[in-house]
Amino acid sequence: MKDYKFIGKDITRIDGLEKISGAAIYGDDIDFGASMLHAELVQSTQAHAIIKSIDISEALKVKDVYKIFTGKDFPYKFGLYMKDRYIFAQDKVRFVGEQVAAVVARTPGAAKRAAALVKVEYEPLPAVLDQMEAIAEGATLLHPDLENYPHVPWFFPKPGTNVAHWRKTRKGNLEEGFAKADFILEDTYTVPRYAHCAIETHVAVGKFDYSERLTVWSSSQSPHTQRHLFAEALGLTHKNVRVIAPHVGGGFGGKAGVTMEIIPAALATKLKGYAVKLRYSREQEFINTYQRLGVVAKIKMGVDKNGEITALDHKIYWDAGAYVEYGANVVNAVGLSAIGPYRIDNVSIDSVCIYTNLPPGGAYRGFGYSEMLFGLESHVTRMAKTMGMEEIEFRKKNAIMEGDTTAYGAKMNPNGLIECIEKATAAIDWGNKPVPSDPNKVVGQGFSLLWKAPAMPPNASSSAFLKFNEDASINLIISGMDIGQGYQTVMAQIAAEVLSIPPSKIRVETPDTDRNPYEWQTVASHITWSCGNAVKKAALDAKEQILTLINRVYNYPIDDLYLEDEAVKCITDNKFKLLLKDFVVDGIMTSDGTFKGGPINARGMFMPEFSSTNGDPETSQGGHPNVHYTVGAAALNLEIDKDTGKMRVLKAALAIDAGKALNPDLVRGQITGGLVQGLATVLFEDMRYDANGKLMNPNFTDYKIPTAMDIPDEIIPIIVEVPQPDGPYGARGVGEHTMLPAAPMIANAVEDALGIRIKSMPVTAEKVAMTYLDSNRQQKNHE
Amino acid sequence: MKEICITVNNEKRYVSVEPNEVLLDVLREKLGVKSPKCGCERGDCGACTVLLDGNAVRSCLVLAIEVEGHSIITVEGISADKLSTLQEAFIQFNSFQCGYCAPGIILAVTELLEKHPHPTLEEIKESIAGNLCRCTGYTPIFDAIMALTKVDQHTTDAEKALSQDRNPALQ
Amino acid sequence: MAIAHEFSYERPQNLHAVLELKDSYRNRALIYAGGTDLVVNIKEGMVKPELLIDIKDLPELHKLCLDNGTLYIGAAVTFTDLIDTEFVFQACPMLHDACKTVASTGVRSRATLVGNICSAVPSLDSATPLLCYEAVVHCASVEGTRNIPISEWFLAPRKTAIKDREVVTGISLKIPKEKSTSVYLKLGRYGGEDLAQAGWGIWLNNAYQYRIAHCALAPIPSRAAVIEAMLNGKELTPQLIEAAVALIPQEINPISDIRSSKEYRLHVSGVMLKRGLLAAIDRMEGRVVEPAKLLGGIT
Repeated sequence: MKDYKFIGKDITRIDGLEKISGAAIYGDDIDFGASMLHAELVQSTQAHAIIKSIDISEALKVKDVYKIFTGKDFPYKFGLYMKDRYIFAQDKVRFVGEQVAAVVARTPGAAKRAAALVKVEYEPLPAVLDQMEAIAEGATLLHPDLENYPHVPWFFPKPGTNVAHWRKTRKGNLEEGFAKADFILEDTYTVPRYAHCAIETHVAVGKFDYSERLTVWSSSQSPHTQRHLFAEALGLTHKNVRVIAPHVGGGFGGKAGVTMEIIPAALATKLKGYAVKLRYSREQEFINTYQRLGVVAKIKMGVDKNGEITALDHKIYWDAGAYVEYGANVVNAVGLSAIGPYRIDNVSIDSVCIYTNLPPGGAYRGFGYSEMLFGLESHVTRMAKTMGMEEIEFRKKNAIMEGDTTAYGAKMNPNGLIECIEKATAAIDWGNKPVPSDPNKVVGQGFSLLWKAPAMPPNASSSAFLKFNEDASINLIISGMDIGQGYQTVMAQIAAEVLSIPPSKIRVETPDTDRNPYEWQTVASHITWSCGNAVKKAALDAKEQILTLINRVYNYPIDDLYLEDEAVKCITDNKFKLLLKDFVVDGIMTSDGTFKGGPINARGMFMPEFSSTNGDPETSQGGHPNVHYTVGAAALNLEIDKDTGKMRVLKAALAIDAGKALNPDLVRGQITGGLVQGLATVLFEDMRYDANGKLMNPNFTDYKIPTAMDIPDEIIPIIVEVPQPDGPYGARGVGEHTMLPAAPMIANAVEDALGIRIKSMPVTAEKVAMTYLDSNRQQKNHE
Repeated sequence: MKEICITVNNEKRYVSVEPNEVLLDVLREKLGVKSPKCGCERGDCGACTVLLDGNAVRSCLVLAIEVEGHSIITVEGISADKLSTLQEAFIQFNSFQCGYCAPGIILAVTELLEKHPHPTLEEIKESIAGNLCRCTGYTPIFDAIMALTKVDQHTTDAEKALSQDRNPALQ
Repeated sequence: MAIAHEFSYERPQNLHAVLELKDSYRNRALIYAGGTDLVVNIKEGMVKPELLIDIKDLPELHKLCLDNGTLYIGAAVTFTDLIDTEFVFQACPMLHDACKTVASTGVRSRATLVGNICSAVPSLDSATPLLCYEAVVHCASVEGTRNIPISEWFLAPRKTAIKDREVVTGISLKIPKEKSTSVYLKLGRYGGEDLAQAGWGIWLNNAYQYRIAHCALAPIPSRAAVIEAMLNGKELTPQLIEAAVALIPQEINPISDIRSSKEYRLHVSGVMLKRGLLAAIDRMEGRVVEPAKLLGGIT
């Protein structure tokens, strides 16, 4: 393997000093002093209702209130993949918490006092809070005008119903597949909604000046996407819209696309000369940003007596909420990939995106694969037991290999799935359970595979500018977002490797759409791969400019020149050494006193030109919607108190095929953090709605995320490296994947320990204890 | 509106406050001290942690008016001359990702190490159990603190232990 | 979040001034010590006081002492003060246990025990030791003082026996002279900070007298009188413990809420009572007990 200087090394993060010294600027730190106005929202108290009237007269009397806006002021639609959403509710509200009006005041306190005085009269409509009810005959329609909504060509809405999109994937012959099966297992799994819980809530500041220039500072994973949607929705030219994204205090998908940011952007256009800020409270963060979609999954799997999966029928019904402009793509992505990392010849997948009167579903780390894998990986373990094969062997037998066909007919990329399985099971000594710490406790082992592809439009692209400074330090100007994963550091490493400049001499700033080149979004775990390719190209461009210049001045053939230790050297003349800092801005003086060259400014761009969404609507065959999959495996030892149900993860190992871990320490950081987030969704969290569609736990008191005292005793991160041919240095993304196996792995371990199968998330202590109690009672009744 | 005097990061600051203003907002909006972050506004997340007379408190739950005559330390205060060894350990061990919870956690641990220079893992966990981090899974935070406190607490030794830092920018 | 509600603030320098203010404002004034509950309640519009009376400048309210078998806890004493004070653990282990389960360090350094009992939420961890040690709540008003037994303090969820013009100045607990010990078990969803799904406090002495209290299992924290009566005078045996557990449905009246179902609360109470009794015996016999680890889930 090639020896790299900076690639594959545990380079210290380049954003560490900023973040640890308190210097890092986040959205809430943007300050305009006295010219700052503060917005507060008036939000729907109804899950589904017609807005009869809005009375702002009392609110306007509050001291320091500047203006109040309602839906009438902004009759514009927006949306990422489907335009089904308004900046403020128009004639109808469709979920509790939907923004109906905004008070703009000189102080946040005044805005809040006034918002409480805005009177909204509603005429309630029947609400559908459950996706299965919403697709039943005669259900109330959320969007009677669905047929008129613009959407991307690969969405298939069903006007006249609550189905916003239906992804069908068909491969082989399902009936024949089941006919060949010796064992068939069929069951239903459910997953509730989840909240991202970045510690920083959404915040954005909009400023529109007298020259018609809109600037928005926003905590965002998607500054260019935001600029595009703001320009489209507000009727502005892109050149007059500027999105500046400071550091993001946690994203996890929640700050992808556009949610509340469009509100201060729109308000600003009517508040010329002022900056207007909207910062969500924690409660608003829970009730009116994207949430992870809820799922009901019906799985039917057939296996022959040799342990080969002969057929899979996977029907997934998604509770996508009141607006699906982003969430429908979650449904789409999983609809293509719900076979899991298995080679299955006969497949039917129906992934159905259903409108409900709950908050909009959207991107959440894992993009639907966590929800899908909870059912599938639970089912696979049970299937193995049903047919009497050890579950690891069963998985190995059916594991998808390079060149196998996916559900939609494309070929699987090179991958280290088998190596991941072997390393994860070895790490926890699979098959040998540790002895429980006391007689009240039992230990179970759980396992799960994972896979996920970036879900992107086929033309999602990345680009990079790279400019040298006088001292040969570099400004690398790119528009991905370091949401904590270490993106800035890794991009610096890539440029460093090409140009022989240490990463610590490379400055990567957060994006500004005026100055930084285009990036689609920092989502889909694609940024290392996609933007990494763009950065590498930019660095190669710079290198070419440098070597061409040296060739021009010194006449060494370009092929003989190379970069090392911040200098240009020549393989045929070991005395030749020209330090980059001596010429990358000022050029090189020639014998007659004239200069050649000039500032080295480079560019790079990457778009996956092989990707397409032209699959058949009825089968999904034919296109190449996914660029590649990242795979992995995880296993754990779980100790359970039989009486209280309380669980403790003794040891968890997660092996992931990173292609090439550009910075192994950062990959290990993703594994540890992602696995804990995944464990949180299965052991602790869920969003609970009452019968009126109101969230009952919109705070960290009752929707808490794990504390320092709630994490596994030991996490073993394992990196496997089977290179991705088109990845920078062979890398592919791992950020989201690390949380995917947690939920089925816990459910499988609970069954291993106690003999009970829990088919609904979360798998809380209470659920374990009560299910176990019930099963003991039933057993006694049988005896 | 009442003018009060607070010692913020060892400097006497005079500021006019209303009784209903919380310390977090006054620090951020009126005194320009931005490192304490707002995460939940009800004491659940710990992002707003500051040291009040040396004790870690939730600045979102402290009324600014009562802090008159008291001392507040934020991360700006402990970074003034150079990073503390704890901060350096956080960088070395990747004990942060998005960085939003980091100022609060650093202050909570600073208090812990003042009181218990050689904490057990259990004590470390307890000291930050009220500081939520969604990114790291906490383990790298424990690693940094354990590595730091395993070495003798004499500052020079601790500095020596951390001086083999891999990032030249820190030296 | 800016606090939308506006109020004034006073920081009296003596108790008389506190009582005068409370007398003139009555329920329009609230006492401010740690503020960890109060500020949240004001932010969320649950209370709208005209005046906050900060009592932290009064030295007598910071008093924490053990004199002649009485543990006195002033109204401004924080949970951290209680946790860090060795004689509190020695005198009243259950109080130490309970304090350690309240919130987290950054909250405990401000939150007071007295403020806690004034909130009177059903899940009040600190109520169980006070009930078992038959604490007395000391109230004062311009008209004089009033001592309220803890058994008469909690009237309903979020409602106590205090009157509008009164201020709590402290709490005292009688520490039994005979050899005794106690333990508090809390079940929460998290290892870190959480509100109780169920809490059980158990006290016993060398004459097999038992005092048992619970929280989060009824509208108010309460003693388990039926179980105590059945156990009193008897040495613990597995059969006796089972008999005590069998009486739980008579003692508690749990509800289903966001934190737990009624059924789980009923079930787990049996587990907690059993393990709590055994832990109390362990402590009585000098073995180290770590209550946080008794219910599983934690290292």
